[in-house]
Amino acid sequence: MKDYVIIGSGIIGSLIAKELSKYQVDIMVLEKENDVVNGQTVANSAIIHAGYDLKPGTLKAKLCVKGNAMYDDLEKELSIPLLKTGGLVVAKNEKELDDLKRIYDQAIQNGIKGVSIINQETLRKKEPHLKSSLVAALDLPTTKVTFPWQVAMAALTFAKANGAQIKTNAKVTNITYQNGMFQVEINDEEWIETKHIISCAGVFSDHIARMIEGIMPYQILPRKGEYYVLDKRVKGLFQHVIYPLPNKKGKGVLIVPQTHGNILLGPTSTDISDKEDLSTTREGYQYIREEVIHLSDDIPFEEIIRSFAGVRAKSTYEDFYIKASKKYPSFYHVAGIDSPGLTAAPAIASYLIEHILDEKLVLKKHMNLEIQGFKLFHEHNDYDKKALIQSYPKHGHIVCKCECVTEQDIIDAISHPIGSDTIKGIKKRVRAGSGLCQGGYCEHLVLKIIARETNQDVTKINYASKNSNILNAIDEEI
Amino acid sequence: MKTLTCTVCPVGCQISITNDLSISGNQCKRGEIYARQEMTDPRRMITTTLKTISASCPRLSVKTNNPVPKDKIFECLHMLHSMIITKNVKIGDIIVKDILNTGVDIIATKEINI
Amino acid sequence: MKKDIVIIGGGAAGLAAALGAYDPSLDMLIIERGAMLGGILGQCIHHGFGLEVYKEELTGPEFANKLIQECHEKKIPYVLDTTVIDIEKKASFIILLSSIKDGLYHIEAKKVILTTGCYERTRGAIDIPGDRPKGIMPAGSAQRYLNMEGYLVGKNIFILGSGDIGLIMARRMTLEGAKVHGVADIMPYSNGLTRNIVQCLDDYQIPLYLSHTVTKIEGRERLERITINEVDQNYQPIIGTEKTFEVDTLLLSIGLIPDVKLFNHLKFDKHPITKSAIVNQHYESSIKGLYVCGNALHVHDLVDWVVIESKHCGSQAKMNLIHNQNDTLHKIDVIPKDHIRYVIPQLISFDEYSETIELKFRSTKKITEGTLEIIQHDRVIYSKKMKHVVPAEMKHVHLPFHMIQKDAPILVSMKEVCS
Repeated sequence: MKDYVIIGSGIIGSLIAKELSKYQVDIMVLEKENDVVNGQTVANSAIIHAGYDLKPGTLKAKLCVKGNAMYDDLEKELSIPLLKTGGLVVAKNEKELDDLKRIYDQAIQNGIKGVSIINQETLRKKEPHLKSSLVAALDLPTTKVTFPWQVAMAALTFAKANGAQIKTNAKVTNITYQNGMFQVEINDEEWIETKHIISCAGVFSDHIARMIEGIMPYQILPRKGEYYVLDKRVKGLFQHVIYPLPNKKGKGVLIVPQTHGNILLGPTSTDISDKEDLSTTREGYQYIREEVIHLSDDIPFEEIIRSFAGVRAKSTYEDFYIKASKKYPSFYHVAGIDSPGLTAAPAIASYLIEHILDEKLVLKKHMNLEIQGFKLFHEHNDYDKKALIQSYPKHGHIVCKCECVTEQDIIDAISHPIGSDTIKGIKKRVRAGSGLCQGGYCEHLVLKIIARETNQDVTKINYASKNSNILNAIDEEI
Repeated sequence: MKTLTCTVCPVGCQISITNDLSISGNQCKRGEIYARQEMTDPRRMITTTLKTISASCPRLSVKTNNPVPKDKIFECLHMLHSMIITKNVKIGDIIVKDILNTGVDIIATKEINI
Repeated sequence: MKKDIVIIGGGAAGLAAALGAYDPSLDMLIIERGAMLGGILGQCIHHGFGLEVYKEELTGPEFANKLIQECHEKKIPYVLDTTVIDIEKKASFIILLSSIKDGLYHIEAKKVILTTGCYERTRGAIDIPGDRPKGIMPAGSAQRYLNMEGYLVGKNIFILGSGDIGLIMARRMTLEGAKVHGVADIMPYSNGLTRNIVQCLDDYQIPLYLSHTVTKIEGRERLERITINEVDQNYQPIIGTEKTFEVDTLLLSIGLIPDVKLFNHLKFDKHPITKSAIVNQHYESSIKGLYVCGNALHVHDLVDWVVIESKHCGSQAKMNLIHNQNDTLHKIDVIPKDHIRYVIPQLISFDEYSETIELKFRSTKKITEGTLEIIQHDRVIYSKKMKHVVPAEMKHVHLPFHMIQKDAPILVSMKEVCS
């Protein structure tokens, strides 16, 4: 029997698990996929937003600004990459200056620190590759960029190191309530009993909610966002996150420098009906290209190495829905977490624990604060590298040459407490295959290392989910 | 009547050839010879790989020393796929002599050290 | 460790460059990241190599073996399983290497020859919309899995790109028991050899869809279906021409790109069309002492040309070392004009020891009959009649050095003879 079952291991579930694991409670995280950290968490712009576009007084606005500030501490606590880029919301012409002033005022109302409007000359100095015709910009020094997958992985590592259990391939198929306890059915066959449920199931939040609620407090309205990824050769072209003025659909198509040197262009914003539709579209590609050239004439489109799409959990409630169920007060909805979900995530966790959970929790006396990260060999300084390669000579073998990932990095990612034995899982943790050649050189090496380390035949190694092996042995029969 | 593309030189003439071997469309004598061969006794060189017991070199690449009849290709491959190389091999070694009575040998194009 | 010449990449180009640079007095080293020398040739088990260089038709591994034996005979030193992580230019080049055996270490080199070959263009670079399932890979990767390891990457295949590697893989997959449903190419003609069209597609009744491209990919986990459309003269899909194929694998043969990423922080001058270094007739880049040749410089059609070019490059690096060439040599530009896509070299340096300059170029389109003209000061200084010029086949001309003047660029132009 558990105290808390957390449904979903994305950025929200993982940061909630991390915080909860500091208290004297028994936690289990349930994840329906073969690996942790999926969904929106692995398909967004990676921005820690300032919060200028949010309606003052909303939970989104409050938790965004709070969460933004919490990332500095999170950086130290979890050893995550955090790029302090700052952000610039640019006005393309004189007509847009009124809107710029309006969002400046909104930013002040939301309590965002250090905002100012800068003129054309200052803008040009800050970002020489933006169009010289842009007239002014809102300077947002608190805007940052992180690596969301690693944040979530590190949070789960912390949670596990402090007693939380994590179960993958665990799809919640039914929830019942009896004698003051929930019975959570997994995969139509197993049952787990728990006192409390925290549901942070992303686009499937309403699907989970329907299992216990009579009248649905919200519905998820899936909204797709498509992106381009430019190779890290473009690093340094832009320093800040560049935003156009926001429109009805959201913040618009952005230029986003990433922690590893890449640049993202996007997202689009299209309402869709199929929550699992992660396809990119011709219209999406065209839209990004058409929009982004309003910001800069120097976009190096020939450096595009891939494109992807994510589906956001926009909801009918329009604000974050972080409330206890009226019907079952020990069931907590953490739903409708679309943008600024990543930014607000640490604040959502503390808000939930401090204001929403119906019990006062007692901190553990002893906590494991040192957690094993996913830092790559080549991200260490020269002194540490010398020591590491002496103890672990397999750091001498560069497997992914585009991202400089060693064989030992991959071995460590397999054996890590939140490790993986799939190609995609290794890619998520150490970026092997994320670079210029997209795994053309290293995929077969990664495959062989996984097979060797997990004592399996290469034909059994999966790409992502179970039964997604990529190789077949040649038949002896033709 | 059949139309085929001559592969003797980069021009790639479209050659028409009838059942009684009357040929047109070629720009040189070599095309005529090619077309006749394709019509009466089409042959192809085969290259493939054989399984080995070597961990560092699990496949041995091989070739035919001469072209085999086109209609025997799959049969030859079938036979080759049932083989496993268990001894050291040098480039040029004959792995199979006179495969399926075609008069063609299978030659190793790689070195294997078990 | 101090070397005279370091060659980065032990494939055909690296081995040939080493042979060209060889001198018993020089200290050389070939650095190879793989487990063996020979590069991509090891997985090219088919015929088509050696007619120019060895006057016999060989398979890839046999061709590689000849080069490797020649290097062994000369006792040219090499390291395997070693990757170059970083390179800096000070008075000489400082190269940071990494291997399991020797850990991280630096070597110094007076001259560096970059022979790192190419990588394959991937789906992400060409905007194919749709899902992102497993089952889409470059043709070369599928070739590697099959020929080096013995694994089929799928059972029902479609191939995008009708260059030689796509055609070769169409045959190869068919012979190993897969069904190849078709090959598509966005161009109205195939880049591949006619022999390959016949022996890889016609022989197995594999349809070729020219002027078509893949417009949609479907499949959540694994590829399930692709859609192709015919394209117009602007290469845009024509609505209504959709054809779908139920396949689990899409192999991409959509282009090779010189692998010079490692050297971007050396900031050499790059050519926008070849995507590699701008070089002079000695294959020296804008960074003194850094040479580039083989597929790392520009994509070749035949490995024979790679060997000839790389041997020349190696010998130039050696000559430069011995003659201690002054780097403020006068240079002129070589500019492609009518119907010429690009020319290598892009620069000509005026030094004391060049006798002929080899100019290599690709046309922009198919030209049945044409005249190549080299023009300086608005005068034709050299001309040559050419037939059957196609973009897929690089052409060469040899220009006597004394014909070129120092004071103006030379233009390379192909005049089309209309009949």
